[in-house]
Amino acid sequence: MEKNRIIMHIDMNAFFASVEQQNNPALRGKPVAVIGSAKRTIITTSSYEARAYGVKTGMTVWEAKQKCPEISLVVGDNRKYTYTSAQIMKIMLQFTPLVEVFSIDEAFLDLSGSIALFTSAERIAYLLKAQINHHFGIHCSIGIAPNKLLAKLASDMEKPDGLTVIRPEEATEVLERIPTGELCGIGAKTARQLALYGIKSCGELGRFPVEILRKRFGIIGERLHFMGLGVDDSPVIPAGDAEEVKSVGHSMTLERDISDRREILKNILQLSEMVGRRARRYNVYGKTITLSIRYADFDTSVGRQETLSCHINQSEDIYKAATCILDNLVLLQPIRLLGVRLSNLRYESNQLPLFSEERRKTFLVDAMDKVNNRYGDFTVTFGSLLDGNNKGSYVISPAWRPDGIRNVDVK
Amino acid sequence: MEFKIKKETFLKALHKVQGIIETRKTMPILSNVFIEAHADGIDVTATDLEVGMKSSYAATVTKPGKVTISAKKIYEILKELPDSEIYFSTRENDWIDLRCGKAQFNIVGLSPDEFPYFPKTDDCTFIKLDSSILNSMVEKTAYAICHDETKYSLNGVFIKAAEKDGKIVLKMVATDGHRLAITEREFDGILTKELQKGVIFPKKGIYEIKRITDDDPGEVLLSFMDNSSIIRKGNTTMVMRLVDGDFPDYTRVLPVSNTKTAIINCSNFLHTLKRISILSSDKFKGIRLELQNGNMEISANNPELGEARESMEVKYEGENIAMRFNAKYFIDVLSVIEESDVELNLKDELSPAILKPLNSNEFLSVIMPMHL
Repeated sequence: MEKNRIIMHIDMNAFFASVEQQNNPALRGKPVAVIGSAKRTIITTSSYEARAYGVKTGMTVWEAKQKCPEISLVVGDNRKYTYTSAQIMKIMLQFTPLVEVFSIDEAFLDLSGSIALFTSAERIAYLLKAQINHHFGIHCSIGIAPNKLLAKLASDMEKPDGLTVIRPEEATEVLERIPTGELCGIGAKTARQLALYGIKSCGELGRFPVEILRKRFGIIGERLHFMGLGVDDSPVIPAGDAEEVKSVGHSMTLERDISDRREILKNILQLSEMVGRRARRYNVYGKTITLSIRYADFDTSVGRQETLSCHINQSEDIYKAATCILDNLVLLQPIRLLGVRLSNLRYESNQLPLFSEERRKTFLVDAMDKVNNRYGDFTVTFGSLLDGNNKGSYVISPAWRPDGIRNVDVK
Repeated sequence: MEFKIKKETFLKALHKVQGIIETRKTMPILSNVFIEAHADGIDVTATDLEVGMKSSYAATVTKPGKVTISAKKIYEILKELPDSEIYFSTRENDWIDLRCGKAQFNIVGLSPDEFPYFPKTDDCTFIKLDSSILNSMVEKTAYAICHDETKYSLNGVFIKAAEKDGKIVLKMVATDGHRLAITEREFDGILTKELQKGVIFPKKGIYEIKRITDDDPGEVLLSFMDNSSIIRKGNTTMVMRLVDGDFPDYTRVLPVSNTKTAIINCSNFLHTLKRISILSSDKFKGIRLELQNGNMEISANNPELGEARESMEVKYEGENIAMRFNAKYFIDVLSVIEESDVELNLKDELSPAILKPLNSNEFLSVIMPMHL
């Protein structure tokens, strides 16, 4: 790893809400909250005006209205967000080819080689802010630091529209009083476990004997130690070099909790078709099927997986494998969320089967995919899924990326 | 139990059973080899309950008896011993003492009473087969066996005898659902009811048949008992449980209207495919095969590596046709063809192709293309 890297982290402020405000001038300067389209939805993002009233992500609509009666609610339009995100990521590519899309509204840039062209990282930050604001009316918070860990921490320090620089020599001083939970990678659970050792700040974490951390947390222990010291060697990985996708999955929160087997199966079939379609589009086949279930009480969930003897990607086979897992489970409560995932992936060419029954099935799936590619998902589908409800992905997952197999077409 | 045996003989005996022993450790006794000493010599037996093998060897036995010992460990030891006489004896609790020169090993064995029963095969009536013919038939089909364990009836080679033009022919068929290999030879044995109906020999047994017939002419004896087949060659007897299932009706997948025929030099075809397929990585295995008047072009391209193409002269007079195939399926077939020319019969982009030696009815393979 080369020394003295310059890494930038960009975080779009109130991304979904800002896109909506830009789209509808009447909403600008007003408290706005973006909500999901499902019947039981929560606040996904709120504008800074709404945040001033205490509206937070994750609140129910009712709670938000309590805090801010005049709030404008907008049903999220995921297509708008994924489109805008992809456009913004393109702007970043003007400054360095090393752009790692971290989520729909966040990215890391490695600017180590770009300074010669643009004089300084701060200048790049201002140019980026200006361009993004000019084209999309969106503000962003930018952090500049010698590595990804610190850059992300820096961008979190000033919101909205911030620019924070952590120079290498300042790292120790900055980290001294930062709570461990502020670091990307240390969640509430880890922070609580660290607190049991009397570790509250990053400074304390860095000084804590690494052997004890290793004993308690395994390999992660060493990582935690270096995180406390503000050391992070992880490279910025541009899209083309990203590791191969390891799984294709979809999950959905159901409109209401269900326990009827027929209904559960119908939802599993729909998810299997979504997974199968995406796997087939990119010619990947998977050997392991995971079925995940979250129960009505929100807290308990189960995930079971089954590894098959051959690689599959037809929706019907995925459905059969997922059903098989379901049949071996004892459901404890009504189900709130269902997920189906295909992993253990292999890229394969489209070898046709020799026996005609199987071949007919392959041609049928192919024909269905072609129709659905042209006229939209679920135009031609399984009879049991014909219930008039809209189907597809309504949630942008953290794994969403502007292109490749992770580009889920969200509605 | 106590006997004296030449290292070379003992090593050969243990080498022979290495493919049989169970490696998955579900039953420890199956990783062991059963050694029985009697007046005439020793018998070495191994089994994984699907395929069992028993061979007899000359040895100077001073005290008869039996014991079992880890097949892998004793083989490793024998490999490293000097070429001289080995003294093998047992003590109480199935301990084994093995001496060779100044080397001495004391090894834990397992009780021979736990070892699975190996059927007595002396009363069976055997059919005689020519070892080299059997070997060649296995070679021409074994690569097409299906490895997907859920399709268990495809996990072996289907063997069937039938009357054809007043003669009896023995057929072997294997398929993995993407390609199929079928070979037939005349034979002058009797049509037993098992062979008439057709039986599926398990994959592992097929590989062992190949091994015992490799470079070893002579005759092989074949018989059936209960749900097993018995194969005897020289001092070795194998018992294998036949796959219980119905082999699919392979005659339905044999194309009958493949009218586009190309005649191609086998070894050129093979080497071209081997070269070009280097650029069809694991991720995108396909090669493209294009036939035009008198010419065939094989190409591969791979976004990560680059592309390759080569054309060769062939006898072809039909319309232009381009198809994609898994190169491995062709290489497998061409590698076992001894004739100098092959015939490739095609119909269209989505229908199976036939590849077989020119002017021969003894071997034929059907290969399904890939989607363009």
